[in-house]
Amino acid sequence: MEVRDVVCTVCGCCCDDLIVEIEDNHIKSARNACTLSTSKLMDHRERLESPMIREGGILRDASLEEALDRAAQILSEARYPLLWGWSLTCNEAVSIGVELAEVLGGVIDNNTSICHGPGLIGVHDIGISSSTLGEVKNRADLIVYWGSNPVHAHPRHMARYTVMSRGRFRRSRRERALIVVDVRRTDTARLADLFIQVKPNGDYELLSALRAAVRGEELEQEEVAGVPVAEIERMAELMIGCEFGALFYGVGLTMSRGKSRNIDAALSLVRDLNSRTKFTILPMRGHFNVTGANEVTTWLSGYPFGVDYSRGYPYYNPGDTTAIDILRRGECDAALVVASDPAAHFPAGITRRLMEIPIITLDPYRSATAEISEVVIPTAVLGVEAPGTIYRMDGVPLEAKRLVEPPEGVKTDVEILSSLLERVKILRG
Amino acid sequence: MGLILKLKRSLRVPLDTSPLTPDNLNGRPLDEIYRLELWEGNRKTPLGDIFKIEEVDGGDLTIEGDLSKARRIGYMMKSGRIKVEGDAGLYVGEAMRGGEITVEGDAGAWLGSRMSGGKITVEGDAGDFVGSSYRGSREGMKGGVIKIKGDAGDEVGCWMRGGLIWIDGGVGCFPGIHMVDGVIFIGGDCQGRAGAEMTGGKVIIQGYLPTVLPSFRTSEVRGKVKVDDTSIQGPFYVFEGDLNEGGSGKLFVNIGRNSHIAWCERLIGEVE
Amino acid sequence: MELLIRNGTVFDPLNHVDGERMDIAVKDGKIVEDVSSRAEVIDASGMIVMPGGVDIHSHIAGSKVNTGRLMRPEDHYRDYEFRRPQRRAGVGHSIPSTYTTGYRYAEMGYTTVFEPATPPLKARHTHEELNEIPMIDKGCFTLLGNNWFIMDYLREGRIEECKGFVAWMLEATKGYAVKLVNPGGVEAWGWGRYIIGLDDPVPRFEITPREIVEGLCRINSMLRLPHPIHVHTNNMARVGNYETTIATMETVADQASGSPRNIHVTHVQFTGRKGSSWVNVRSGAEEISSYVNRRGHAELDIGQIIFGDTTTMTADGSFQYLLHILSGNKWANADVEVETGAGVVPYTYRRSNYVNAIQWGIGLELALLIEDPWRIHMTTDHPNGGPFTEYPRVIAWLMSRKARDKTLSKINKTARRRLILPGIDREYTLSEIAILTRAATAKSLGLTDKGHLGVGADADIAIYAMDVEKVDPSKEYRLLRRAFRRTAYTIKEGEIVVKDGEIVKTVFGRTFWVKPWVKGDLMERVKEDVRERFEEYYTVRFGNYPIPDSYLRRPQVIRAGG
Repeated sequence: MEVRDVVCTVCGCCCDDLIVEIEDNHIKSARNACTLSTSKLMDHRERLESPMIREGGILRDASLEEALDRAAQILSEARYPLLWGWSLTCNEAVSIGVELAEVLGGVIDNNTSICHGPGLIGVHDIGISSSTLGEVKNRADLIVYWGSNPVHAHPRHMARYTVMSRGRFRRSRRERALIVVDVRRTDTARLADLFIQVKPNGDYELLSALRAAVRGEELEQEEVAGVPVAEIERMAELMIGCEFGALFYGVGLTMSRGKSRNIDAALSLVRDLNSRTKFTILPMRGHFNVTGANEVTTWLSGYPFGVDYSRGYPYYNPGDTTAIDILRRGECDAALVVASDPAAHFPAGITRRLMEIPIITLDPYRSATAEISEVVIPTAVLGVEAPGTIYRMDGVPLEAKRLVEPPEGVKTDVEILSSLLERVKILRG
Repeated sequence: MGLILKLKRSLRVPLDTSPLTPDNLNGRPLDEIYRLELWEGNRKTPLGDIFKIEEVDGGDLTIEGDLSKARRIGYMMKSGRIKVEGDAGLYVGEAMRGGEITVEGDAGAWLGSRMSGGKITVEGDAGDFVGSSYRGSREGMKGGVIKIKGDAGDEVGCWMRGGLIWIDGGVGCFPGIHMVDGVIFIGGDCQGRAGAEMTGGKVIIQGYLPTVLPSFRTSEVRGKVKVDDTSIQGPFYVFEGDLNEGGSGKLFVNIGRNSHIAWCERLIGEVE
Repeated sequence: MELLIRNGTVFDPLNHVDGERMDIAVKDGKIVEDVSSRAEVIDASGMIVMPGGVDIHSHIAGSKVNTGRLMRPEDHYRDYEFRRPQRRAGVGHSIPSTYTTGYRYAEMGYTTVFEPATPPLKARHTHEELNEIPMIDKGCFTLLGNNWFIMDYLREGRIEECKGFVAWMLEATKGYAVKLVNPGGVEAWGWGRYIIGLDDPVPRFEITPREIVEGLCRINSMLRLPHPIHVHTNNMARVGNYETTIATMETVADQASGSPRNIHVTHVQFTGRKGSSWVNVRSGAEEISSYVNRRGHAELDIGQIIFGDTTTMTADGSFQYLLHILSGNKWANADVEVETGAGVVPYTYRRSNYVNAIQWGIGLELALLIEDPWRIHMTTDHPNGGPFTEYPRVIAWLMSRKARDKTLSKINKTARRRLILPGIDREYTLSEIAILTRAATAKSLGLTDKGHLGVGADADIAIYAMDVEKVDPSKEYRLLRRAFRRTAYTIKEGEIVVKDGEIVKTVFGRTFWVKPWVKGDLMERVKEDVRERFEEYYTVRFGNYPIPDSYLRRPQVIRAGG
């Protein structure tokens, strides 16, 4: 059976033109899918099939009821529980997660806080001049990738949305210029018309110089962050001289020294450029629904991640109410992890903290986090075995489909979280 | 009547100590204070479960113990004195209007955030965001004095609009970011990006600064600079900026420690 | 479930009830003739009973609203709501979180609210948020005034296909009405450019705003949609823009023969200015009201400003950019491919500021100079003019000369001299306020079961604790304000949801959307035609674009035409 218009659930591109061939509840092949996508669709890794509870130091199989009861008990007794993950599941699940945090008096934080959080923090101060990806496809004659390597991390980005796409007013690669800014000559940089190699951790200075050049200020220094001023001025000219420019930034900018202030500078640059021409900026979100996790959390609590409900109302301050910081200070006493593997991704010292507290993990696979958990509940893979709403990196909502049935007995995030919420509401009164 | 509050046990989860100010406690009978409820994580706990109280002479409020998980000591205080014998946590002196706080250990991030008056002294180090605003707001520290004997972190004086932050030690990056007015004095080294996006005020660096942002214009050389009534000895390279914000803030960089910035000397004669 | 609201002073203008003491009976969510003795009784003696408020234009849900929330943690952090047994936690002031939005409306006795600016490509987002706004019935207007397909159709004179397209769009987005924002201008802004008048052609589309307005107005009538085209006119950033407002109304005047109203101009205060520079800007309310009083085909909502801090947000990207430049405040922009745009800028209206004081005067002058209360609705264009929680303040200004004079005494002196407001004596009656805030808005939206308390109406009722025998609202406007801030009771679909100003139960309302009828194969032809260009223009697949009915928590379709 052929299923068309399938929405991919890997990276923030959320390509929705996949054509999937299904036979006997298995995905046989996928067209239009990049390698990352195919990997996910045809993932044959061993699955978690039964819920598990830790008893006598080891994880043993348990019924779903037992696992949920134990999970609800652990979370309800906690005085500062952390609810983490959320970017690899659907909006409907995130919404339940926020209510859970509210009922429990805990903190809900999502992957944003270790990835593109700096971008959102920059928006608090500066705002953001942005647009959907189709605006770029149709109008942009200048594309800039900064600290992002789409050839590897967002493989179809350039073909679907930027330099190789075909829009109403721009039809081919020839009609666009490509600038890449990175610390080394990446595969994306090799495709650029202008490649600017910035000294590692020098992005803020470079952005500062670019802003000055765009504003017509004369730069006193001869070189900034390893880039000769003549090149900076050339880049500024290209940016001012285009009809519609688009700047895409990635973790090269959010995670290098300066973090949110790097984005502050990039947002300010794009804002300044709008007084000379039309310019837009977009974050290259890594996970397929981290944007959705932000949006849902924002409309329910006012804030995009790191929301602390412990005093009965939503409070937000990254650095205080975010997972890494809470764990570093040893402040949380239980954790619920949904569709994420922090034990594998967090810095080692933080993972050690995680190991000191009881964890409930909801995941399709036996992740590193599952291995150190008190309760593990298997879940269906979003976009393959479970449907749900997701938001693309530019905020466009899409409906991920259920293509095949999950393994016997395995439920969706929404089903598990709803049951958990019901039990917690009873325990917390 | 002065009070000493001694932590009876270690803190496991965050403790909201915002009710613990001289304004709020003065004049209250002891048994009422023992029954005051503080948010400890997601539960309200009577103060008596957490602190032992001793009455002493004088009018100070002293808090003893490892309070690194405490939040908001001295929140919105208007008068009186608080002494923390140990480390204090996040938001010490947030929105403070008057009075004095002394921290004998280290203080966490957001020390003196949104402060408009009073004085805070930290014997140890402070974290990030000293004297800053809240997220998205342009209202950072407006007045008062913060003095840190050790080091401070990043973004000291973020969106500051008045007052004085004096740091004997060094700081991380971005001191004076988005600063509108006020003075930041840094006795030690700065890791970079001083005065980023500032529109006014003064940032003085006595130690090492790796680079000056390209959006600052070389202004002059000055022998000394005044901070309130004190004259600070330089000499300093003085830069003006942040030009990207149309700013006229001033960055004073000690010449002796920063010979790598001497390139700017050729521009000094050119400045009108 | 039966209720009997006994002995209240009822204002039900649609049924010609003007301050009469009467009982209202409720059963199974509807107003009925009478109820059994088992009914729960509410003693409404000494209280005002009105239909629940119907807000025709308030930015409460969707992509740009959420961008506003994201951009302004400082808006939320001083105004928050604790979780309580009957209600979820949240944050507020100018861009409340979804639950708080619903609760605060219900506390004021509002039971239906329409989100006026939904970008089709992101309509799912709007519906997701609407699904999580409790207490109220709701709907959203679909932004169509800068849509590529529509502009192409209209330029080519293909009005039938355009009509089919509009019908399809409403169904695909589950929208309620046709919304135009700076028609043509937002497409120009897609290139960072500006439109300067109704006859300024849209770059690369060679169609004028006038042609867009006329075309969509015609189509709206052809489809017999319940609400007229809802228009945010061009030139919002221009100092003197009242002429554009009048010209926009005028341009569809000749189409209106027969039908009652064919254009709704929204938040007219923002496009009701006269003058050539900010230094001498004045009110254009006289000219606009004069037009509206003479010509019956147009209706307006005011978009009143409230002094204080708020957040401006509209689909009018170019206006928002200019406001950012003028104010120096942070700025968000969100253009949407093929369709529209948006912008968000925080703003503080100050009494001492000449322009803001004039703006404040314009809104009230409009309401007071327009004679027919059925054609002027009360809004603040929340949150653009101010948060909806300030509606009681606007009501007080309309009903009390004394309240107006008090505020007038504090505003910029030059503005006060140049406004005619100080000389206006008119004071709205309670009946007229009921018209402005519920009866007229429900009627304008074609919601026949709302905005009134006749038998068969939805049992959405607001009971305000103010005794009209004892309190003269014109003199004691503070009591009036207090009464309208928090109801004694709010009843939603026959259930008591607010009592003594407190939420006692969280309920979820219905989402209304309009399904226009078009002839057999027209819709299919149009879809085929659109499909060809769809994937070239958009970055999503045609098949993934329309929203199924099941997306809405409690959908309520209204069929039009046919």
